[in-house]
Amino acid sequence: MLLPPTDSKIVARRAEIVDALRAIVPDGVVADESGLATFDADALSAYHQTPLVCVLPSTREQVSDILKFAHSQGVPIVPRGAGTSLSGGALPREDGILIGMGRMKRILEIDYENACVVVEPGVTNLNITKAVEANGFYYAPDPSSQVACTIGGNVAENSGGLHCLKYGLTTNNLLGVTIVLPGGEIVTLGGKSGAQGGLDLLGLVTGSEGLLGVVVEVVVKILRKAPVTRTLMASFDTVSAAGACVAAVIADGVVPAAMEFMDGRAAEAIESYNQPGYPKGAEAILIIDADGVEADVAHAISRVTDIVAQCGGKTVEATDEKQRTRIWSGRKAAFAAMGKLAPDMICMDGTIPRHALPYVLDEMAKLSDKYQLGFCNVFHAGDGNLHPLIIFDIMKPGEFERAEKFGADILRLCVRVGGVLSGEHGVGVEKRDLMTDMFTTVELEQQGRVKCAFDSKGLFNPGKVFPTLSACVEQGHIHVHGAQLPQPHLPRY
Amino acid sequence: MEKASNESQVADFVRAARQAKSSFEIVSGGTRRAVGRPMGNLPLLDVSGLSGIVKYEPEELIVTARPATPLAEIAGVLAEKNQRLGFDPADWSQLLGSNGVATLGGAASADASGSGRLRHGGARDSLLAFSAVNGLGENFRGGAKVVKNVTGFDLPKLVCGAYGTLCVLTEMTFRVYPKPQFTATLCLSDVTPETGFAALRKIAHSALEPAGLAYLPASMMPDVGQGAALIKLEGAAKPLEEKLAMLHGLLGSVAGRIDSDPFGAIGSGRQFADLPGDVWRVMIAPSDAPRIAKELYVRHWLGDWAGGLIWLAAPPSDAARIRGIAASAKGQAMLLRGSAESRAAYGLYAPQLKPLADLGRAVKAAFDPLSLFNPGRLA
Repeated sequence: MLLPPTDSKIVARRAEIVDALRAIVPDGVVADESGLATFDADALSAYHQTPLVCVLPSTREQVSDILKFAHSQGVPIVPRGAGTSLSGGALPREDGILIGMGRMKRILEIDYENACVVVEPGVTNLNITKAVEANGFYYAPDPSSQVACTIGGNVAENSGGLHCLKYGLTTNNLLGVTIVLPGGEIVTLGGKSGAQGGLDLLGLVTGSEGLLGVVVEVVVKILRKAPVTRTLMASFDTVSAAGACVAAVIADGVVPAAMEFMDGRAAEAIESYNQPGYPKGAEAILIIDADGVEADVAHAISRVTDIVAQCGGKTVEATDEKQRTRIWSGRKAAFAAMGKLAPDMICMDGTIPRHALPYVLDEMAKLSDKYQLGFCNVFHAGDGNLHPLIIFDIMKPGEFERAEKFGADILRLCVRVGGVLSGEHGVGVEKRDLMTDMFTTVELEQQGRVKCAFDSKGLFNPGKVFPTLSACVEQGHIHVHGAQLPQPHLPRY
Repeated sequence: MEKASNESQVADFVRAARQAKSSFEIVSGGTRRAVGRPMGNLPLLDVSGLSGIVKYEPEELIVTARPATPLAEIAGVLAEKNQRLGFDPADWSQLLGSNGVATLGGAASADASGSGRLRHGGARDSLLAFSAVNGLGENFRGGAKVVKNVTGFDLPKLVCGAYGTLCVLTEMTFRVYPKPQFTATLCLSDVTPETGFAALRKIAHSALEPAGLAYLPASMMPDVGQGAALIKLEGAAKPLEEKLAMLHGLLGSVAGRIDSDPFGAIGSGRQFADLPGDVWRVMIAPSDAPRIAKELYVRHWLGDWAGGLIWLAAPPSDAARIRGIAASAKGQAMLLRGSAESRAAYGLYAPQLKPLADLGRAVKAAFDPLSLFNPGRLA
């Protein structure tokens, strides 16, 4: 995967650019080789690029000044939160300023009267919950990386998590954001009232993957913790029985707080990794959380238990909080546990209509044969969000390339059955060149024009999300040139 | 007036309008035409033929329908499978004096949610995908027909509340939710706005998942002393009983159950239909509600969404004052019903300041560069 060609003229001006940034953030410019090495990749670690320079602002004014400078000088900007993106959203550029938001990590206000928290972008997802949990509240979106990932990155990626089906993604849990636009202007969208008085730009900016601006403040909703949460584990002899069970639960009108699927191979690896007590010998396991008031939860648990039995599965319920935590700690460690199976893995992220689940699982098994690579499945079954994990050994010639092709075929399969390339990890660089499989040229141009409305110079996170470099030209109105074909010089994913 | 009954007719019409540089107004049921800045006598594009449910997949929790589908039709079809739309679409026809039929596309385009917005959010939180024609006369889709998707820009958010200024919708896919078996409406009588709203916020921030939380002063509801806090809970039989018990524990007093459901009238603004003057919806942080209600100092008002939304009727001369109060609370005052003069003078929302105003215009131009669709309506 290559990004758009490096502008050597910018690279040649590096010293001057570093000086200019030091004038804005005297103690927050990383320009030495070893310092920059820390920032050369995000969690899509197969791709590396040392940035031109990294700057770590502490205030929104500094962010604004940095962007004004970059804008006036035509220097690309790559925003970065904690660098946990699985899609390469924060992959740096050789000719671009990496703007790391980690220093802006203050919780500015906790407002229980309005059940919201005002934070800077560098606050981690989990720290929002930690700040309010003593009062019985929490912040609902819970991506597995919540210990490390920051709310600014969550806004950029519209992060999901285990509990999206019931509680929504980041976008459904935001009341407002303040962003700095590519030209350095600071705008606030929404706020504690949630109202915007015009177009829903808050909704547009959320999930825009750092293409439209830099988030400097976020107002999130917090929710009261449910009084009761119960957890069931269901095991099945076949993967397709588990898939059918998922569809049956949803069709029954039960909305579980979480419904996670893992296949036997994943469960085995996790079991040997941190012993959460998963049933042995099952071909597929579902972990199901029901939360709410006691009677609601009792109803959901009894319905799910019946449905699992009808689908030929067996259920075990966690007897106490300790066991619940253990069951979930296994799921949350799924990626780490894959190290038991092979040295390397890539994690895919498509969403499919739930009814297509058995078919997609079968097709993935065929692809596994075709590419001669193992894989296992861990995913958010309730909302149809698949995370197939392709395992390989990067030291074996050709395996990485095969793994990438396997992954791309899985995502195309998702699109073919009416699904999408990304349910929660974002497009980034990873799925960029597959966008043409999901969207028509007209649709990509339409999105490209929206990008231009914010970033007329195309300086923000260039080479991410969209397979083409669109140039915005003012001609009485904004339009896009030459967006018909993917960049011919860029290799396909 | 021209009629378009399918996507290609819409595209043909838009391309012709583009050629002629002729703006037009998009009309379907017509119930909300009197909302927003008046656009003058523009040609009409009647899209009421773009009606009907395309595909309902209850087990996927989604329904795809054409935008002119009447709200009543879709509610009926979903109810057969014990489901409902999440955003509690509000029919403002009575308030606005229209005989038309409120539609799905109209409700979403106007971001019209009733009291139930508390539970599952607004149209923006439920619209998963749409098809439309942009100002270049091109068919395009935004979003996707699955419940979880982050692929590309989240365009469905933008079309909700855009009042038809970005594109002509031709198909919409919404997430649907299970419809609870039972509801219970309760009334806490003779409470001041301070006490009433405080109780409502407490409930809003509990695990009760309320479906309606409104405060009505004595001027809006007879026989409630100083005013009433109204609470709507829902669920299956046993969970609902449990919630009622929890509610009473939470409030420390017993709210009386009432047989009627006033929330239908509250959400649709029917309580203001026969009152003179302009009708406003003021969106604020809920805890500001008692103070803002006092500052507004009007006889006819009520607070929905646990205080996050104040409805009020006021003489047209109050417009600037109301906007000022909303702005002081970092809220938004929306002029929902007003004379053509009021609407021309004050618009739907307060004018945005630079650079936000420029950004909004640029986004509009990204869809509709010649400003063919409903020009100026949202300005």
